[in-house]
Amino acid sequence: MGEFIGLTIAGVALGAIYAISASGLVVTYTTSGVFNFAQGAIGMFVAFVYWQLRIDMHWSGPAAVVMSLLVIAPAIGLLLQWGLIRRLNVNDRGLTLVVTVAVMVAFMGLAFAIWPQDVGHSIPLLFGPDHHFSVGGNLVSYEEVLSIVLAAVTAVGLRLLFFSTRVGTAMRGVVDDRDLIGLNGGSPQTLSALSWMIGASLGGLAGVLTASTFSLDVINLTLLVLNSFAAAMLGRLRNLPLTFVGAMIIGLADAYVTGYLQLSGWLAHLRPVLPTLFLFVVLLVLPAVRLRAGVAPVSKAVAVPSALGSLRNGAVLVGAALVAAATMHGIALTDATAGVALGIGALSIVLLSGYGGQISLAQYAFFGLGAFVFAKVGTGSVPGLLVAAAVGGAVGVVVALPALRLRGLELALSTLAFGQLAYYMFFLQPQVMGHADLAVPRLHLPGVDLEHDGTYLVFLTVVFALLSAGVLAIRRGRFGQIVIATKDSQAACASLGLNPRLAKLALFATATATATFGGALFGSAQRIVNGDQFQYVASLFILLIVYIWGVSTPGAALAGGLSLSMAPLLAVHLPTRLQALTYFLTGFGALLLVSHPEGLIPAVTGWVRGRLRAPAPARPARAPVAAVTARSAAEAA
Amino acid sequence: MAFLETSGVTVRFGGVTALNGVGIGAEAATVTGLIGPNGAGKTTLFNVVTGLQGANEGRVCIDGRDVSGMPVHQRARLGIARTFQRLELFGSLSVRENVQAAGQIRRLWSRRRVDVHDLADSILERIGLDELADEPAHTLPTGLARLTELGRALATQPRMLLLDEPGSGLDQAESEAFGRLLADLAGEGTGILLVEHDMDLVMAACSWIHVLDFGTHLMSGTPEEVRADVRVQEAYLGSADVAADVLGAHAAPLEVGAQG
Repeated sequence: MGEFIGLTIAGVALGAIYAISASGLVVTYTTSGVFNFAQGAIGMFVAFVYWQLRIDMHWSGPAAVVMSLLVIAPAIGLLLQWGLIRRLNVNDRGLTLVVTVAVMVAFMGLAFAIWPQDVGHSIPLLFGPDHHFSVGGNLVSYEEVLSIVLAAVTAVGLRLLFFSTRVGTAMRGVVDDRDLIGLNGGSPQTLSALSWMIGASLGGLAGVLTASTFSLDVINLTLLVLNSFAAAMLGRLRNLPLTFVGAMIIGLADAYVTGYLQLSGWLAHLRPVLPTLFLFVVLLVLPAVRLRAGVAPVSKAVAVPSALGSLRNGAVLVGAALVAAATMHGIALTDATAGVALGIGALSIVLLSGYGGQISLAQYAFFGLGAFVFAKVGTGSVPGLLVAAAVGGAVGVVVALPALRLRGLELALSTLAFGQLAYYMFFLQPQVMGHADLAVPRLHLPGVDLEHDGTYLVFLTVVFALLSAGVLAIRRGRFGQIVIATKDSQAACASLGLNPRLAKLALFATATATATFGGALFGSAQRIVNGDQFQYVASLFILLIVYIWGVSTPGAALAGGLSLSMAPLLAVHLPTRLQALTYFLTGFGALLLVSHPEGLIPAVTGWVRGRLRAPAPARPARAPVAAVTARSAAEAA
Repeated sequence: MAFLETSGVTVRFGGVTALNGVGIGAEAATVTGLIGPNGAGKTTLFNVVTGLQGANEGRVCIDGRDVSGMPVHQRARLGIARTFQRLELFGSLSVRENVQAAGQIRRLWSRRRVDVHDLADSILERIGLDELADEPAHTLPTGLARLTELGRALATQPRMLLLDEPGSGLDQAESEAFGRLLADLAGEGTGILLVEHDMDLVMAACSWIHVLDFGTHLMSGTPEEVRADVRVQEAYLGSADVAADVLGAHAAPLEVGAQG
């Protein structure tokens, strides 16, 4: 009984931290319409700022708290809202999500650059190690009590804000109708900015509390967002009381599981995935979302090259691969080969996000799955590749099914959760890969010797060229039209007789099959893989990089795969502090999407074309209307 | 029984009753009007019929089948298609692709085989958009965007078309041409339920009109009966004199589009 009480108090204290962070997420989401993926990263950054002030610069505790939580954190929130969110069309859910992921990665890069991780940082317990008291024989620290009190203060404070102040009432109103608030004289942007400031402060508070109780670590604190959104999802990202309930369930589950279960063997990594398991259960029980009209994003047409054009592009690529194979050697050649394989897998992002507007954050889970299946089945034969793709498609269906009843955001979050689950519960298992190496056979083709990396590079480039021609053919064809129509307006598609869930499922399965296919080739390019390569954070990187290059362009997949594979090669020549540059470039690069959502390749080719051609005379706006009138009148006569 | 029938449809948003026991019908091969002042619940009724909005009470029957609880896409497969008051075009596709995509979707659920490309081209010619077929849909002005939505709906070869303010954004001449198009469609057997603020268009095109006011079914009748009804005039402007003007009491003798 005594142990139970102790675990319960520890669980509630942990749940309290999650609740603080999660309520920040909810406030930002309900008011600004943006799910802030960077909630954990902002908290992490603020915790490091606190460390800088309190420990490194010896500020007093209260001064450091006020400065970090009440000045710096809101300033970050304000800056993000003013600089980025305000300029986004929040109805473009995919892009909005990608931009907040970019913010997350950028903050990680900043933290790595300012506070290099080879030096340990820690925030001591706020009250010191001796401050605790006893409840039923259990020591309860002041920290735990403080977390619980602060969570209660947050709950009461937000309740008062939303229900007893004019601003709060307006903030609740924004959720229902952004335009309506504008009509009533309120400013949605001001309210949105306020919500980002509150969200950042709450994120920072959760970050400091976590850092002082557990550890000050860039990755762990950033991924606190996973636990927070699992909690917030119980209230569908809108309901604060349910969010608190969710946070408590997760906190208590963590305490009881670690207290009562012997976590070894297969279950050794159960603890970090508990919130994820909770999330999947919540997604399964949430009622389906009704289709809504009137929320279509403003979309832009992207030029699609003709079949001849893609043939020409493919020929250029293969030519470049021949040159690369002849001139490169050693690790560089192996990395380039692996990069092309990643590019093949990244075509799944073009299909799913570029055409379908859906976001998956589990690319690497499917890459790893492909490598694993290919290593176990078919000893390097082509049927082995096909089996891998089929398994990937089937797993994709299972992953997407629960979230498809909901919205794109839930699908994205559940893929991230799946990626985390796959990493801890699958790839890190010694029978699968673990931290040791798993040998993956090189692909055998009858009559062609692919053993040499150079030959394999050229072969993979040919495969990439063929597949991207296939992706473009999909775009031009029946499936592609339906996919894009579904992206632009699900309500319209359904009212034409399409089951939008089925369409999204078909697309998701096609994309995961492609990713798994690419993963098999990736493993086969490297010959050995290990579990650590399929970290879920890598999935965020490849998504951002493909978006930076231009997510509707198959070439961006290749550019993305190569940049991801070749970057470490360059980074080893940089001093430790600059190794954060990958994070930095990726994060800040993706922020350019705010002004150029189409990405680098289309932006540059568009600019070049514009330079080469004389500007076309502007078409008078009324002309087509007049034409229609004339025609209709003529027909009627 | 009419092809499309609602009975006792009630929808409440929080404390507001958007529709209160509304029962209307729309026949095949007829243009039926659905009018009422802003906020009368016309679009909400469209959403209830197509399944985008659930009803607290009441039934919707399409072709004699009770479709309450049926998802949007299954109702569409019974032969209804619609356009949207707030446009729902496929903005990344061209005008032609918008119509083609609808035809492709129809091919997924219909046994009738048609060449989607030929179908799209003939529809575009009919609605007068063939010269704009390759324009990206998101660049269209409102009037043409609404026409594109009509073309898209036609590509499913529906038995009942629900048009939500298709006339806004059209000028006088375009609106008259549009009225003739509706009459032609009705003549071919397609039922049309028309929500429209352009009273000249409504009075000219419809052979039967339902009037909603504040979510209740005020009356139904021929254009002449609607125009003459004092309750309708009061609902529109609160005063019969001004309303008579708006409702087009001054207009030339009616040309009833489709003989219902």
